[in-house]
Parts: sequence; C-alpha cells; structure tokens
Amino acid sequence: MGCNFRCLHCQNWTISQQFEKGEYYTEKELALLIDDARRRGCRNQNWVGGDPIPHIPFWLRVLLYEKENMPVFFNTNGYLTIEAMELLRGIVDIYKIDFKYGNNRCAERISDVKNYMEVITRNLKLAKDYGELLIRILVLPNHLDCCLSKILEFISKELGKNTRVNLMDQYTPHWRAKEVPEITRRLNSYEWKKAIEMVKYYGLTNVIS
Amino acid sequence: MWYFIRPDAVSALEDPKVIEALPRYVDIVKNKKLAKFRICRLIPVEISGDESMEELWNIHKKLMNEYIKLEKELDEGKTIPSETPKFSLLHLKSTIAQRIMRSCILCERRCMKNREEGELGYCKVGKEMLVSSYFDHMGEEPEIVPSFTVYDFKSAELAWDAISGASTVKTGL
Repeated sequence: MGCNFRCLHCQNWTISQQFEKGEYYTEKELALLIDDARRRGCRNQNWVGGDPIPHIPFWLRVLLYEKENMPVFFNTNGYLTIEAMELLRGIVDIYKIDFKYGNNRCAERISDVKNYMEVITRNLKLAKDYGELLIRILVLPNHLDCCLSKILEFISKELGKNTRVNLMDQYTPHWRAKEVPEITRRLNSYEWKKAIEMVKYYGLTNVIS
Repeated sequence: MWYFIRPDAVSALEDPKVIEALPRYVDIVKNKKLAKFRICRLIPVEISGDESMEELWNIHKKLMNEYIKLEKELDEGKTIPSETPKFSLLHLKSTIAQRIMRSCILCERRCMKNREEGELGYCKVGKEMLVSSYFDHMGEEPEIVPSFTVYDFKSAELAWDAISGASTVKTGL
C-alpha cells in the first residue's frame, strides 16, 4: 500500500484518475523532474506515497541529485519514530501532518494503529521545533466530541493558537468505511457548524476552512 | 495556467497568516533562503563506512549542531560557500536511512523487516520506491500550490482496486 496506516475510509482513490500506471523512475530521473517543476513555477516537492515515511531512504537519495532550491513538503500521517524524525531534521521545510484522531481507541479502530496520541503529539511538537508546521484535520462524522475537540484542545494548548490548520469538511465514505457504522455518511451541516464553533472556542486564529 | 485555476494561490505568499506560520518556507519559494536539504549538503562528513550504527548516530548528532548554526548564519545573510563537500551530512543521513532498512524502524509500527533484502514491511514497501505518477497538484492549500507531487506504485494499486471494487486488500495485512 505504501502506507503504514490502514484507514478504512481511505480516500486515496480520488486522485487516482491522474495516475499514469506502470512507469518507474530512478532517483536521478526524479531529481531532474523535480528541478524542471521548480523552474516552471512549482513551489515545493510534495512527498506523499501512500505515506512518505517508508520512502525516506529513497527521497534522501533523490535530494543528492537535485540542483534547484525546492522546499520539501512532507505530507504525512505523522506516525514515525524519533529516529526518522532525526533524519528529517535539516531536510523537511514543511511538516504537513494529518491530525486524525483525538484518542487511541478511535485510531486503533479505524486506522489500525496503536499509541496514536503518544506518537502524534510528540511528533507535532518536534515538527514545530525542527521546521514549519501545517496541520490538516479531516472532520469525521460523529467524531466531534471524541476526536475533533481533543485535537483542537491539544493544538491550542501545546502548539499555539496561531498554528496553521486546514479544517476540512469534505469527508466522504470510501473504500471500507461501511465497516465503521458511524462514518458511513458525509458530515452534516450541523456538525460542520459545531466544528467551526469548536475552533472559535479553542481560540485558534490561523484556520483555513 | 495555474493562476486561473487557483487565483487565491497567487497572493498567498503575501498573506500575513501564511507568513506568520510559514515564514521560512515563503522565503525559500522566493529564493531568499536555502531549502534545508541544500544546507545539509554544505556540511562535510568523514566516515569510513565501517562505523557502527551508534557511531553514525553520534556523528550525526554532532553535525546537526553544526547544521543548526549554519542555517542560522545563512538565514542572517552569510554568503553561501561556493564549494560543496564530496560527502555531506545528506550522505550521512542517507547512509543511516539505508542501514535502518535492514531492520526497519522508520514508522512507529517498528516491524523490523529487512527491507534492504527486499522483505516487505507492513507498509508493503521493500527495497525501492516504485514511482507511479507525479503531477503539479492544484488541490492543496493556497500557499502550497502548485505543488510537484509524487505517488508510489502501491498506493496506485490500492486506488485502482478501490475504484474497480475488486479490492483484495485486507486490514492487518
């Protein structure tokens, strides 16, 4: 899968119509493509995957060949080790971390991960220290009190009210979301309104929504 | 032309909220500062290749202090050295990352598979990243687009499975 998570509601397929299947690139070839992209005006290199964590060794080799001054945008779920964080220090310019859950139970149930809160909160703090941070929150239906509220509280208290957050309302049940009864529908307008109220309650000042 | 698709992105680098949160990024995009990896490549490293993992990490720790100092100096206007070392901090990071793959602990699952030998981790990634696609992403935050985005082959597979409804992927695989 190229990802260390197994989110039952994985939405990866939405970008897949642009996939060109079956072509492979070496580090050197990819570096050339990245340099070209920079010259035509792309603002950053966006490492996705799946998730970019398993691909860190590959990306470090790509960087050895790049010639342009292209910032690195690390587009991750944030579930990486301290060792990986240390390797990325001095490499990643923006850590874009998805803050998905506000407790370990929801994380384990929907994305099959353990100790989610311990890991994500540690890495968010490190990311802020090691580079610049952009947090994405995909609001899940029925997960406002158990997840969204806890997520916003942590950001507000531990990372700062001016943390840049992209609050997203476009959740759509994909893949195997039907196995998780409460997320088999889209967010309703009441929930979105409540989400915006929560953002105000926790005093966040740099939110895209 | 991307600015017709995302007119909000044109002025995003001047948005005070963006500058407040991502000041260094904005400066790199404007070529006023160096991307971090470029600074890494300026720091020379001497290793034989026979060092233990512990020794490599110790060297890394020491050099990261140099990195932090150099980033600060360059950001404050110090001239960029014209010569780049043959073997740099970026090489050291790459060497350590490659070594980690022998018993992979990059993500917190710490599945310790020997990916260097081609064994697949929980992530289904082995030795190499098979790049399946890349494109100029226009769907990210205004200050991020256009963003040169790279996907790997495995996630493409998953995606196509999901579309065709023929997914054979099981949780916990």
